[in-house]
Amino acid sequence: MALSRIAGRRHGCVMTASGSLATRLGSTWFGGGLSSHARERLAALAELREVDPGAVLLREGADTERFGVLLGGLLALRVAVAGRGTATLMTVEPGDIFGWSAAVPPYRATSTVVALVASEVLLFEAGALRDLLREDEALVLTLYPRLLESVSRRLTATRTQLLDLYARDREYEPW
Amino acid sequence: MVTAAGPAFLPRKRLDALLDLLREGGRTVIGPTIRDGMSVLDEIATVADLPAGWRDEQSPGRYRLSNGHGDRVFDIVNGQMSWKQFTFPPRQKVGEVNRSASSGGVSFLPSPPDPDRLAFLGVRACELAALGIHDRVLAGGTFVDEDFRARRDAALVVAVQCTRSASGCFCTSMGTGPEVRTGHDLVLTELDDGFVVDAGSPAGERLLARLPGRLATPGEEAAASAAVAATRAAIGDPVATDGLRDRLMDQLDSPRWAQVADRCLACTNCTMVCPTCFCTSTSISSDLDGTVNVTERVWDSCFNPGFAKVAGGNFRPKREDRYRQWLTHKFATWIDQFGTSGCVGCGRCVTWCPVGIDVREELAAIAPPALPVERAFIRPAAATPGRFEITTLRASHPETADTATLTLVPTEPVLLAGLPGQFVMVDMPGFPAFPISVSRYGIDHLLLTVRGAGPATAALLDTPVGGEVGLRGPLGQGWPVDRALGRDVVIVAGGIGLAPLRPLIDVLLAERARFGKILLAYGARTPADRLFISELTTWADRGIEVLQIVDRSGPGWAGHVGVVTNLLDQRDFASRPTVAFVCGPERMMQATTSVLRDRGISPERLFVSLERHMQCGIGLCGHCQMGPFFVCRNGPVFTLTELGDLFTRDGV
Repeated sequence: MALSRIAGRRHGCVMTASGSLATRLGSTWFGGGLSSHARERLAALAELREVDPGAVLLREGADTERFGVLLGGLLALRVAVAGRGTATLMTVEPGDIFGWSAAVPPYRATSTVVALVASEVLLFEAGALRDLLREDEALVLTLYPRLLESVSRRLTATRTQLLDLYARDREYEPW
Repeated sequence: MVTAAGPAFLPRKRLDALLDLLREGGRTVIGPTIRDGMSVLDEIATVADLPAGWRDEQSPGRYRLSNGHGDRVFDIVNGQMSWKQFTFPPRQKVGEVNRSASSGGVSFLPSPPDPDRLAFLGVRACELAALGIHDRVLAGGTFVDEDFRARRDAALVVAVQCTRSASGCFCTSMGTGPEVRTGHDLVLTELDDGFVVDAGSPAGERLLARLPGRLATPGEEAAASAAVAATRAAIGDPVATDGLRDRLMDQLDSPRWAQVADRCLACTNCTMVCPTCFCTSTSISSDLDGTVNVTERVWDSCFNPGFAKVAGGNFRPKREDRYRQWLTHKFATWIDQFGTSGCVGCGRCVTWCPVGIDVREELAAIAPPALPVERAFIRPAAATPGRFEITTLRASHPETADTATLTLVPTEPVLLAGLPGQFVMVDMPGFPAFPISVSRYGIDHLLLTVRGAGPATAALLDTPVGGEVGLRGPLGQGWPVDRALGRDVVIVAGGIGLAPLRPLIDVLLAERARFGKILLAYGARTPADRLFISELTTWADRGIEVLQIVDRSGPGWAGHVGVVTNLLDQRDFASRPTVAFVCGPERMMQATTSVLRDRGISPERLFVSLERHMQCGIGLCGHCQMGPFFVCRNGPVFTLTELGDLFTRDGV
């Protein structure tokens, strides 16, 4: 999916200066855990976008064309179940990432990413990101642990979700 | 100029006059200032050297400074330096041992004390206590450290009462603060536009009489007292000190020593920043031919591997030995030696531990009090086995497909006098009694929110309006609302766990101005499983940040999806004093408290409400025992510190 097909608006030239993008990135949970070197390298690739509610940023099963950091708003991660439509498995909170599979083979999106409300995102084109990672070992050393932290949080949260903790239990029968 | 006895008011713009007075006679004023981005104690040449608008944010293993907080100059609670830096310097020459090159004779030349004349500005109550402890340790016995005594005698002490606290503070538990009571010449309490100033010694009275300004008004005195009282309330009472000495000495074989040693780096930070640690070693520097040998006293630490080493071996070779030595000395054997605890509750050892070991947590885990103090004091109605008070069902309001809120009207008024988080035992013919939390207290009724999870609760939900139900209560220890005074509050509810939290929210809203920011994070299975849906909006309108998340999305739901911890993962609770109240399934509470701890809330400020099998609710039937606790009497609300390992241990 071409980037231009995302319904959204580019920010003005002031906001897209890489210096200010590095600052924006650094103010997020994800970017705050990266080295300044990493933030600057990533900011040079980044594009700041505002997306409208309903905008699809990635499609499940398709090539992950971009990696992103949510600056504001709310994104849904959805999967399709034949005969049951799509289910929202979780939402991405501001500061967190989407499209981590852009940096992990086989580079295919594991869910469809949809904006639930007007949202602001930093986007990184997947191919360019991988090229950068291949040439910059220092970036790899700081980016991947943070990426894994985010994925690990989701894994842990998903396990908790699987436990269905709020489900109705059988009442304890003491007799 | 102040002409009468009593507290004075020094306008902020005249603080320079105080500095001028302190400098008289060639004194150097030492106080808090910012150097290289760090709060230190150093010379205050002008008022501009004081850290106006700066504040510290502390949590275990973390210290941050920020500025832009107005004009106050004493808002930094403390830094890593204490005043012992000046009364008991890290390195101090004590003398020379010389050998004559000609005769070979030996001479011992002790260094006479020659202290600088200093004025300490901004000494906190806990630090005054620390100076007092050093007075006993170093100058109160048969043998006296003359250098220390001379430095103490030469120093003027201007104390400051705390109007802020750090998360590591526990002076309240150690009985040392935040109020300044003794050991000072002058004491300041900072208000927005100046300082309430009082004297604590004849020298202080002479200074006070020469200060510009006027007598403090009753309003200013009251504002100063209220600010310090609010600090006391914010700190709470995080360490149970009653009987601590004996409890600790009974635990020399506790397995916890080895566990904490696994985390401890033996870096000695805790002892270096401690204002009372006084252990030293001798360092000798010789010239090349050995005729002049300068002897210096240097700070040492019982955490250093060689500290207990003698020629034949090391008496404390393991880190757990050294940690035990430090903790038991500080909180137990110090009392035997000097008649006082060696800890003043300044919290530096908590903040400056690089791995965030929290001494309050270790004390609670190693030497817990026999039983927590019961917070509720109202004797419940029908507190005898077999007795229940009759209540009448006035109304039933459906909340979800399987949950309803019942309005019950008692004739016994004690049932209405409960506290947030308390519960009642419900009894009906044909069923054993079961516990239900009160979800609201009304003027003549109480609300119980009940999920039909089995035969007994289904029967309760089937009770017709006008039907009678037996209740015993209010029971147990509820949410300690007083611990939230002046602090930010995080409330995390899962599923029906919102019900026992609603009376807490009612209290917080009733006195909204007495609490900081309030966040409610509520997780439910689906949008349709949420309780009190219309009230969630009302609460948001009344100053609570309400966030909702569901495990499974549903039609029309465009909100958060996932587990409740997703709402907390990126928050920062370390920068402001925050307490958290958590209620939901136990596994959810474990995940939630883990995130809240990571985000900066210390365990003694994390409260959870446990569910256990209860049949009597008054600690007689034995069903709800958990470790040393009867959950019905000692709980259901506990701090994480109280629960320790029990909270995450399976099968207890």
